[in-house]
Amino acid sequence: MRILITSASHDRSAALADHLAGGHEIRLTERTHVETEHEFVLSALGHDRSTNLLTRDIDAIVHSVEPQPGEDASAQLDAATRGTYNLLMAAAEEGVSQVILLSTLELMAAYPHVYRVRETWRPLPDTQPPTLSIHLAEQISREFAREGSLGIKILRLGDVSNKTVADAVSEALAQPVPLAASCRSNESTAPHTLSITHVGERPQ
Amino acid sequence: MNVLILGGTGMLGPYVARELAPAHNLRITDVNPPEDDLPGEFLHLDVADLDGVVAAAEGMDAIVNLSVLRRDRRIAWDVSTRGCYNMMQAAVAHNIRRVINTGPHYTVAGPNVTECFDYDIGPDIPPQSGTNIYAITKSMGLEICRVFTQHHDINVQTYLFYNFKDPEAIQPGDHYAPFVISWENAAEVFTLGLDIELNALPSNCEVFYVFADMPHGKFTNEKTKRILGFQPRQDVEILWK
Repeated sequence: MRILITSASHDRSAALADHLAGGHEIRLTERTHVETEHEFVLSALGHDRSTNLLTRDIDAIVHSVEPQPGEDASAQLDAATRGTYNLLMAAAEEGVSQVILLSTLELMAAYPHVYRVRETWRPLPDTQPPTLSIHLAEQISREFAREGSLGIKILRLGDVSNKTVADAVSEALAQPVPLAASCRSNESTAPHTLSITHVGERPQ
Repeated sequence: MNVLILGGTGMLGPYVARELAPAHNLRITDVNPPEDDLPGEFLHLDVADLDGVVAAAEGMDAIVNLSVLRRDRRIAWDVSTRGCYNMMQAAVAHNIRRVINTGPHYTVAGPNVTECFDYDIGPDIPPQSGTNIYAITKSMGLEICRVFTQHHDINVQTYLFYNFKDPEAIQPGDHYAPFVISWENAAEVFTLGLDIELNALPSNCEVFYVFADMPHGKFTNEKTKRILGFQPRQDVEILWK
C-alpha cells in the first residue's frame, strides 16, 4: 500500500513512517523541508495542482494538523482548515480510497470524568488551537465522508505512545473502508464513509 | 450603539450601512474602498488580519460581519473561516457581547438537504454544508462562532441568505432561487438584530433564514419573524405572480 503521511516534522509522523515502512511504501510531506530517509515532498497543501500530484497513486493518507514553530493561533487555524480541505479535495479527485485523520481526545476532555464518553458524542473543543483546529479538521472530513467521496477514519488519540498510535493506524489500515468510497469523478453517490475510534484514555 | 461592520463595501454592505446609520455610529471596514456616499468611518482592513480586526473592534458595542468571498479557494478560507475566528477573538478582547454573522443558506443546508423533495426547511437543522468552498468555509466560520459562544458571554446571530434581488430589475418570469429577498428588506433585519434584547434570544448562538414570504414553502422564515420581529416586504412577488 502507498501511504502519504502529513506533518512530517512532527515526531509522531516520523515514528509512524518508520513503523509503517516495513510493509508499505511511505511518502512524507510537510510545509517546510524535513530531513528523512523516506520519500519526502515539500507541500503547503495549497489548492493548486501540486496537491493533486502529492496524492496521486496514493492508497491511504494519514493526516494530522500540527502547527509550525512561530505560527500564531489564527495562522494555525487557517493552515489546519484550508490544508485539510485542499488535501481531501485532491484525495477525492485522485481516487484515494481512505484517509485516517489523527485527532485528539482533548476534544472530549470537558465531559465529567465519571462519564463513559463514546465516539458518537459531540466534541467539546475550546476556542484555541490545537483543539479548535483539530475539531474543524474533523468537521471538514465529515463533509467529505457525508458526500461519499472519501472513506474517513478518525482516530482520537489520548496520551498514548507513538507505538500505540502506530499500532492503531496499522489496524485501521488493515480494516476495510467502512463502505466503499467512490472516486470524485464517479457521479454515483456512495453511502457515508466515516468512522471514529478513541485510542487511549481521554484527558481529565 | 457603536457598530463595527466587517466587509462593509460589498454588495449588501452599503444597504446595511444606510439602514443602520441613522441610529448607530458605524465603523466600516473592507479591503475595497467605499462608495462616496457610504455613511460612517471607513478603515481599510483584511479580516484575515487578526491584529487589525482586534484593533478595529476597540470601542465597539457590536460587530456585524458581512465579509464574503465565494469562489477563490485561498481567500474563501481567509475571509469566511479565519475571518470569523479573528472576529470572535476581537469580541473577546473588547468584551463585545453582540455579534451578527452572515452567510449563504447552505452554510447549514448543503446538498444532502433536498430542496427537491422537502418543505419547511428551517435554519436549526444540524449543519451539513457539503464541500462546496463557499458553503464549507462559512460553515466552519459558524462552528467557530458556536464554540466561542460556549466559552464566552457572547451572543452570535447568524443571518443566512440565498438570493438578493433589486425589485425594480425583476422581470416577470425571471428565474428565482428557493428563497429571495430585496436588498433593502435584507438590510432591515440588522436593525432588528441590534435592537433585540440579548436575553430574548433562545440561546447564545442562533441562526436565521432571512427572506421574503415565498408561496412554495421550501424553506421557512418563521423563526426570523417570530423572534426578531422581521417583516418581509412584498416587493419581489412579481417573480411568481
